[in-house]
Amino acid sequence: MAEPQKLTHTSAMILHAIAVGHIYGYTVMEATGLPSGTVYPALRRLERDQLIRSQWEKQSIADAEQRPARKYYKLTRAGESAVEENRRRYPLLEKLAPRAEVEQS
Amino acid sequence: MTARWWPHTILRAAALLAPPAERARWLDEWRSELWYLPREGATRFCLGAFRDAIEVRRHSEALTPPLASPTNCLAFLALLATVSLCLVAALAGQLAAHATLWRMPTRALPGECLVTLLFSCGLLPIIRLATPHPHSQHPPRSWPSKLRASTFLALKILLVQPVLLCGFVILLIAGPAAPVAAQLALLALWVGTLRWVIDDQHRRCPDCQRLLGGAVRIGVASRTFLEWYGGESSCSEGHGLLQTPDLSASYCRSGQWLRLGNSWHELFPAASKGRHS
Repeated sequence: MAEPQKLTHTSAMILHAIAVGHIYGYTVMEATGLPSGTVYPALRRLERDQLIRSQWEKQSIADAEQRPARKYYKLTRAGESAVEENRRRYPLLEKLAPRAEVEQS
Repeated sequence: MTARWWPHTILRAAALLAPPAERARWLDEWRSELWYLPREGATRFCLGAFRDAIEVRRHSEALTPPLASPTNCLAFLALLATVSLCLVAALAGQLAAHATLWRMPTRALPGECLVTLLFSCGLLPIIRLATPHPHSQHPPRSWPSKLRASTFLALKILLVQPVLLCGFVILLIAGPAAPVAAQLALLALWVGTLRWVIDDQHRRCPDCQRLLGGAVRIGVASRTFLEWYGGESSCSEGHGLLQTPDLSASYCRSGQWLRLGNSWHELFPAASKGRHS
């Protein structure tokens, strides 16, 4: 089995935030306290590394609620194992980015 | 309080940094996120878009350098040459007042360019000898591709002459104020420009004259034992790879051009697009 990927603290925080349900770019920012100039490029890097994958929500859902469609992020299988690995490496992550209350539709 | 239009203007400005092919999608993403934001933090949020746009641009596969194609390169040099000639013509009057030895009527411009060309032709072999050239080892090429390469090089040399002449005129005007600095600057301009012409030629595919891209590192000095290590760039049309060693060794003194057969073209989107269209 391949060795789990070691991530920087910032990437681990973002990955953890997604794992606990903060699935949009802005909510990741709120949960981690990181600025947009850090979060969005990091999300693209994590996606390139295939730890997360992004998807646009259905336009019909957004139209029904009279708001623009939003891009959301999900962990891949490799991302899930990276989160587990990094929870052991950064045990305080849990406190930094608490679990989202209602995020996913 | 932030005006409603201000964050959108910031996003539009940042979008200019994103590659054109991905710009609309990128802007949609940021605009949709902006909609969910409280208005107070919107400006700060949008400033982060610049960094994100740069990140997207850095990793965009669709993006090619503006001077990658030989036609674009020659068009750019022709534009630069025209601007330089206009500048020289405008400065000709001033030059008569400053320099007593050098008179330059506007109608003599082609002749002056010929003088700079002769000087450049004298300087080129010396610069070429002093410049390491990675294309020294490559398989024999067909005569059309040799002719294409020579024509491209000759046109580049020809088109930089007005630029050199313009630099010469500017430095002639500035000369009396700082004679030594002006002479050094003139020499640096001449050598720098001609060196760029040669270096640019070496960074191009010998078959199609497009700039090589997709540079990757191969091998690490500390982990290689008698093995090749250095950089490798490829032609976007799939003609071949340029392998440049970090250190010259007896088995690999300089760079070598590795020609790729047609079976490799599937890996190069530009090559397969050209073949199917």
